[in-house]
Amino acid sequence: MRYGPILLLLGLLLAFPPIASATGLEFYTGLLTKLMIFALAAGSLNLILGYGGMVSFGHAAYFGVGAYTAAILAREGVSSAWVIWPVALALSGLLAFLIGAVCLRTRGVYFIMITLAFAQMIYFLVVSFKQYGGEDGLRARRPDFGLFELSDTTLYYLTLAVLAAVLYGLYRLVNSRFGRVLQAIRENESRTAAIGYPVYRFQLVAFVIAGVLAGLAGVLMAHYTEYASPNLLAWQQSGHLMMMVILGGVGQFWGGVLGAATLLLVEEILQDLTLYWQLGVGLILLLVVLFAPRGLAGLLRRRAG
Amino acid sequence: MSLLVIEHLTKQFGGLLAVNDCNLSVEVGEIHALIGPNGAGKTTLINQISGAQRPTKGRIRFDGHEITHLPQHQRVRLGLARTFQITNLFRSYTVLENLELAVQARSGSSFRFWSPVKREKALREEAEQIAEMLGLTPRNHTPAAQLSHGEQRQLEVGLALACKPKLLLLDEPMAGMGPEESGQMVELIDRLSQSVTILLVEHDMDAVFRLARRISVLVYGQVIASGPPEAIRANPEVHKAYLGDDPGGQHP
Ligand SMILES: Nc1ncnc2c1ncn2[C@@H]1O[C@H](COP(=O)(O)OP(=O)(O)OP(=O)(O)O)[C@@H](O)[C@H]1O
Ligand SMILES: [Mg+2]
Repeated sequence: MRYGPILLLLGLLLAFPPIASATGLEFYTGLLTKLMIFALAAGSLNLILGYGGMVSFGHAAYFGVGAYTAAILAREGVSSAWVIWPVALALSGLLAFLIGAVCLRTRGVYFIMITLAFAQMIYFLVVSFKQYGGEDGLRARRPDFGLFELSDTTLYYLTLAVLAAVLYGLYRLVNSRFGRVLQAIRENESRTAAIGYPVYRFQLVAFVIAGVLAGLAGVLMAHYTEYASPNLLAWQQSGHLMMMVILGGVGQFWGGVLGAATLLLVEEILQDLTLYWQLGVGLILLLVVLFAPRGLAGLLRRRAG
Repeated sequence: MSLLVIEHLTKQFGGLLAVNDCNLSVEVGEIHALIGPNGAGKTTLINQISGAQRPTKGRIRFDGHEITHLPQHQRVRLGLARTFQITNLFRSYTVLENLELAVQARSGSSFRFWSPVKREKALREEAEQIAEMLGLTPRNHTPAAQLSHGEQRQLEVGLALACKPKLLLLDEPMAGMGPEESGQMVELIDRLSQSVTILLVEHDMDAVFRLARRISVLVYGQVIASGPPEAIRANPEVHKAYLGDDPGGQHP
């Protein structure tokens, strides 16, 4: 890992909000917050999809459950983030544990379909709670951190801090003993089992870690929009996260971050230009899959030598 | 003393009895060869012993433990390691990376999430020793996919060996090898047999008769004969079922 570009990027991100507000570009602080939240969600998916080879088509479930937990607790009068955050993370982790425990007994296309099926069940379950907004979603005030007021700017810095910490943790993880075994399972599952690793346990632990991190992104999303939308739970959202990972680079460390940032920016730009923006997004994805199978991160890495 | 005892083992695939009421025992310290025609159930038997597949019926005991229902990783921990008939390596990993993974599996917990595994010198050093014993040291940093067939087969054995087993299950280690490579493999197995018990599945009869202390013959999932090489060579039933008229000859 080369630290120069990372520190530069971190410096720019730290300096951005004051510069943006001085030049009347506050909008972009918000946009960057959203990019970072999705970078976190896509990064968590990249852990299981990219490093673990588990093609989960239901990752939105944990993202959405994180957001809904935050919103529902706020609605029920819980205002402290020190309660909301742990509960939301624990719930998304528990959900990932239960879903993973079942799904990881299957492989291939069955795994893809069953993760999708579970996520859809969660979607319909949440939408059926009329007292929590049903299909309209749920408005939620931002919580109280005690130490600071959660304004747009502090939320930006909070998200940046969370993302940086999580990425550092993931960097340690993928290079640790655990990370090595996780990748070995992706490379060759039967051999990994034959040399004495309990494959299922490793996969399940990774699945839960990814679920917790997606839940964390969901909490931040609820704070960001002050709203929990059923869209966060929908299968399209799972697909969106997968597109980010594929675009950025499956199993490439910066894949999630690059994919999320690029896809959201492209969508933002194309949406302003044309009604057919989804076609444009599709074409870009197609080009990447055909000509850069390791995604944008793979391209950058090749350029850097 | 028996290290491995298999009793009435049966494995059914739909209507097919791949292993059919099979009995077999492997004594400590021996090279025990398991021969039999294509489709006799040799690989299926190895899969049951190693825990990759569950038996339909029967029992397996290993080193005093009942292991019939034990998951594969616990069997490896007890000292059972296998190789694959069809080379099954981490193809994009180098020789050392392959071996380090196997060494790591038996040296402490792998549920460690923080320290860089590349800094663990002990894993690297053990992997280097195994590579040296296999004669693969010049290829230490070559991805497995780029090794010659013979070298891949050696690494295949090396990965099982890196588990420090008491019993090594070798599924046709000479598969697809020319005479020179086979010779090296025979020499390697001979050397290994000084420190580990071996169950050797092999079609190469020269190799089998050079290495084995005992031979069992598997036909249609059943052991039809078991004994020292001379007895097997002289057994008319074995000839009829398997060896043909040329006891030293190659099986097709
Ligand atoms: N997973 C499976 N499902 C169905 N049938 C199987 C399966 N595995 C093996 N068989 C069948 O079981 C029988 C025994 O196969 P096995 O691979 O154990 O034979 P083998 O003695 O190892 O043969 P070879 O010498 O060709 O390696 C064969 O008829 C094979 O087709
Ligand atoms: Mg076989």
